[in-house]
Amino acid sequence: MTARARDLTLSVAGAVGVLALWETVARSGTVSPAVFPPPTVALAAAVRRIPATELGEHVSASLLRVLGGFASGAGLGILLGVSLGWYRRLAALVRPVIELTRPIPPLAWIPMAIVWFGLGEPSKVFVIFLGAFFPVFTNAYRGMTGVDPLLLRAAQTMGLGGARLLFRVALPAALPDLATGIRVGWGLAFGVLIAAELIAADRGMGFMIMRAREFGDIAVIVFGILLIGATNLATDYAIGGLIRRRLRRWHPA
Amino acid sequence: MKRSGPGSPDRARRRAPAGTRLVGFGVLAGLVAAWELASRAGWLAPFYFPAPTRLAGTAWELAVDGFPQGIRIGSHVGITLWRIAQGYVLAAALAVPLGLVIGWLPALDRLVLPLVTFARSVATLSLLPLAIAWFGVGELSKVLLIAYGCFWVMLSNVVAGVQYIDPMLVRAARTLETGSLGIFLRVVLPAALPRMFAGMRIALGVGFMVIVGVEMVGTIQGLGALIIEARTYFRSDVSLVGMLAIGLFGFAASTGLARLERALLPWHRGLESVRR
Repeated sequence: MTARARDLTLSVAGAVGVLALWETVARSGTVSPAVFPPPTVALAAAVRRIPATELGEHVSASLLRVLGGFASGAGLGILLGVSLGWYRRLAALVRPVIELTRPIPPLAWIPMAIVWFGLGEPSKVFVIFLGAFFPVFTNAYRGMTGVDPLLLRAAQTMGLGGARLLFRVALPAALPDLATGIRVGWGLAFGVLIAAELIAADRGMGFMIMRAREFGDIAVIVFGILLIGATNLATDYAIGGLIRRRLRRWHPA
Repeated sequence: MKRSGPGSPDRARRRAPAGTRLVGFGVLAGLVAAWELASRAGWLAPFYFPAPTRLAGTAWELAVDGFPQGIRIGSHVGITLWRIAQGYVLAAALAVPLGLVIGWLPALDRLVLPLVTFARSVATLSLLPLAIAWFGVGELSKVLLIAYGCFWVMLSNVVAGVQYIDPMLVRAARTLETGSLGIFLRVVLPAALPRMFAGMRIALGVGFMVIVGVEMVGTIQGLGALIIEARTYFRSDVSLVGMLAIGLFGFAASTGLARLERALLPWHRGLESVRR
């Protein structure tokens, strides 16, 4: 057996083992299945109690929110991070404001977001925007200020300057840091999304499990937690794949 | 075009020159003054953007009279920090030994990899309804959620710290006929420490993030509760002071941890660039 096949077998065995253990313990009867449902029961209950169309609505509401907040946050983060990393004098003016607001956790903005934007979608998107913005900005800025000066000087010797120096040399060199920022930002945006939906929302996956709690429906809560985890994992994997394909042009693995 | 290019590995630690910092303070002072003036002139509605002097008054009110129901800000801060500390220590007590074992045994790492990957993807706060159903809205739920959020970040960094040790170090120690335990304690552990510390720092940020969400449900004590409770009384000034307080303490805690790291690991320049 090759090392790779052995690794894969172990991973599958681990995942199956955990699920089997969970199922057995939950079915052993030591804890009531209403309090600690086995995975199969949680799945069956969720399928019975939440119609597929409603489930689809919750998932799409969550995804739309997180996409809107992430796209705007990461977009502004890259724009500001790259331009402040390139024009250092500008950075001296703008960075203090960013660094001062950065330690405030995104969730702490929820009440002010509601004051400024009302109870609707914009307030949630704003909080998610903050979750994505700070890590993306920080990493983009770090990447730009960390570009090897030798690279820049070499390019300048060959007559490159201005926008071409930025887009053809500095930006590609900062790309790995940008990629890190985007992955961290996506993870944070997703976490903030769920929290915002728990606290103030009328649809979305976070709302779905908070409502299930009011009905004492633990099977649906468990199903919702697994669904949220799977969605996060799948989207993170997709973003990681996209980034890797893009990066390979400059950084052959 | 002349560029002052910092390219040394410890660039992140390099302090900004005094001039830059002066400009920074100037900008902030200017912004606060402009905010105050705009409020006085009536250009900013007090409910949406309470003036800085108003916020200072609110901070005084919170420190002396307290809000809500006479809970002073000192006790909000104390409760929030105590909750984070309990969850954080619990997570570290579990993650460090487990991570060392998993990192040392590759087969075990493969076995638990799917579980760890999935558990990390589960948004910590999505566990809140389940925690409330199982453990009630009391302290236990809050501490356990913080521990959950911190645990996975710590675990993956401890595992990575052990796995990415230069194998030459271990082989060199073997040739010197050190026993397995000796190698582990004297070679592996010190070499893994910087990465472990990086994980500890990220986990601290996670703790400060999770606590706010956790305190927004079913309690009136703690900074998260203060921030959200203020909404019911239409006191946006109280929310803002609470936000500043949690930002300040979060910043102080992470700076303190970075100092501790430098004091404990003077031989290492720190892994400033390691992010999750």
